[in-house]
Amino acid sequence: MLAAIILAATPVVGSTANALNLGDYQGKVVVLDFWASWCVPCRRSFPWMNEMQHKYADDGLVVIAVNLDNQASDAEAFLQHYPADFAVYYDHERQLAGQYGVEAMPSSFLVGRDGTVVERHLGFQSGKTEDYEAAIVALLGSN
Amino acid sequence: MSKESKKSISATLATATCALLGNAITQPVQAQEEPGWDFNTAFLYYGEDADRVQDLSISVLARRTFYDDKFLTLGLTVDSLTGATPNGGIHQSVAQTFTSASGNNVYTAPANTQPLDSEFLDTRVAVSGNWQQPLGRLSQFNVGLSASKEYDYLHLGVNAKLSRDFNQRNTTVSAGLAFSSDTIDAQDGAPMALTSMRDVGDLSNRIGEQDKDVVDFVLGVTQVISKNLLMQLNYSYSDSSGYLNDPYKIVSLVDAVTGDVVPRTPTPGVLGPSHEYVFEGRPDQRTKHSVYGQAKYYMGGKVLDASYRYMTDDWDIDSHTVDLRYRWPMGDSRYLEPHLRFYTQTDASFYQVGVVDGAPLPAFASNDYRLGNFDAITVGLKYGWTTKNSNEMSARLEFYQQSGSIPAEKQFGNQVGQVQYPDLNAIIFQFSYWFGR
Amino acid sequence: MAMKNIVLLALLLAFALLNAGCSSMGVEAWDRDVLAKAEMQLTTDPLEAATDDHIYFSKEASSGGRGFGGGGCGCN
Repeated sequence: MLAAIILAATPVVGSTANALNLGDYQGKVVVLDFWASWCVPCRRSFPWMNEMQHKYADDGLVVIAVNLDNQASDAEAFLQHYPADFAVYYDHERQLAGQYGVEAMPSSFLVGRDGTVVERHLGFQSGKTEDYEAAIVALLGSN
Repeated sequence: MSKESKKSISATLATATCALLGNAITQPVQAQEEPGWDFNTAFLYYGEDADRVQDLSISVLARRTFYDDKFLTLGLTVDSLTGATPNGGIHQSVAQTFTSASGNNVYTAPANTQPLDSEFLDTRVAVSGNWQQPLGRLSQFNVGLSASKEYDYLHLGVNAKLSRDFNQRNTTVSAGLAFSSDTIDAQDGAPMALTSMRDVGDLSNRIGEQDKDVVDFVLGVTQVISKNLLMQLNYSYSDSSGYLNDPYKIVSLVDAVTGDVVPRTPTPGVLGPSHEYVFEGRPDQRTKHSVYGQAKYYMGGKVLDASYRYMTDDWDIDSHTVDLRYRWPMGDSRYLEPHLRFYTQTDASFYQVGVVDGAPLPAFASNDYRLGNFDAITVGLKYGWTTKNSNEMSARLEFYQQSGSIPAEKQFGNQVGQVQYPDLNAIIFQFSYWFGR
Repeated sequence: MAMKNIVLLALLLAFALLNAGCSSMGVEAWDRDVLAKAEMQLTTDPLEAATDDHIYFSKEASSGGRGFGGGGCGCN
């Protein structure tokens, strides 16, 4: 099980103290994305994640974005420009980032229905989204 | 009327450095940005006192961002130079007359002044192109072309750079290579080194168009030291070969006892030099080594940029450069940035005030103040602001002063009393406008 | 000349040492907010740098030395 982190916004500005428990998502395919307001490729990843969330929500895809800014206000400013139609959490202590081994910004982890990490994506490149989407579809197909 | 266009060749050589890798060509890349164009434009005024060189230039750097960290950068600079530059002659208690670069007429330097080339006008156009893209996730390569043209000088260059990140991108190792092929087409042809300055119309010592090739290699390491501190260390190697002289500069023939320039009688009915001068001659090869270190330190909003460079070459010139900038933000959209630069260099082995009459000619001789022994200081202030539509503007004003001295063993007789190395004082003003990003 | 060689050697050694000691230094990927700032790039204003290089090359015997990337947000 994973460390508790603070809920920052879902999907707009606001904050409540709540824990992210990935165990809650067992049975779903999860895209867990670590981002920050100063990370420029993140600006391109958000629209794509929105698209994935809309397209495959009914098939069981959940996109979760974890923010690693020092200040929540920076994250909120980013979300004003690049709105998220998915859950956004705030990893103030960077515990989740450390546990998952975030080596690049952004990093996203594709988690299967059984909770195991199937793929790790370092960075966001438009050229790779096709393959990423194919991997998501493949995972959604299996049970 | 023929165009007098002989400003220092070295001014044009700057384009050779622009061919070299790094900041001259590309904008700082932080990460993939939205595809589109952004433009960095600048207007520059450079002016020396005492009727010396003045330069006005306009530059544009246009960058097209593509998906996935690919960039195309195109640069254009147009420079217009006017004014006069020291011709290598020395102060004398009498007036001196020189044949002009065009070989068509003469000009006179008053007594007790540093002889300057007569006024001229020249325009230089420089262009550059650079392509940058990743090679795999952790590597990146750049390839670029550069070219510049002015009345008497053509530069063509190609450069490439490869860099790779290590340690979660905390360490970056880079290597770059640049080649330049330049052509010097001095008015009426370059003069043969160490031959005398002739009468008007006498082109017997001209040897036509000349070439110069430069190879530059740079190896660098950039290291993130901490959240607030970034450092870089570079080693550079540069090898120039070919025609390295300034075709317009002379060295005076001086009397072995008095040190005065030896007078000359021009051919009857023809205008010519009043004294004996020989065109300078430098080695046809020059190897330079430089080590450069830089640190950028963030202190709660303020940024200190400090760098040091040591250069040594086989002409016996050693130099040290210390450059300090301190960016001081004022609110969210403005900043002030004072700048201080210290520079010192030792003279080239063949740098000399004159060539002694009666003694065998040396292999090489030059009285170009740029190869002399001097200290220089730059003091400047830059003010930057973000406009309402999120574009950036800045203006900077700087003062540059160069103070040189001739080593005691390189002057004698009446030379010692004269100011053989006048200070150079210049103003630099630049206005920049960065938009589209 | 010997002095010059010693200085050059010392600087190259410093270079090598910096290289060797580099592997343990640095920050986590998510800790690069300051490094991502425009004013923390090694060359904040490339046109100004190019102009300065041009001016000093024209008036002095040294040139270049700087340049290159690294630092920054380290994204992708």
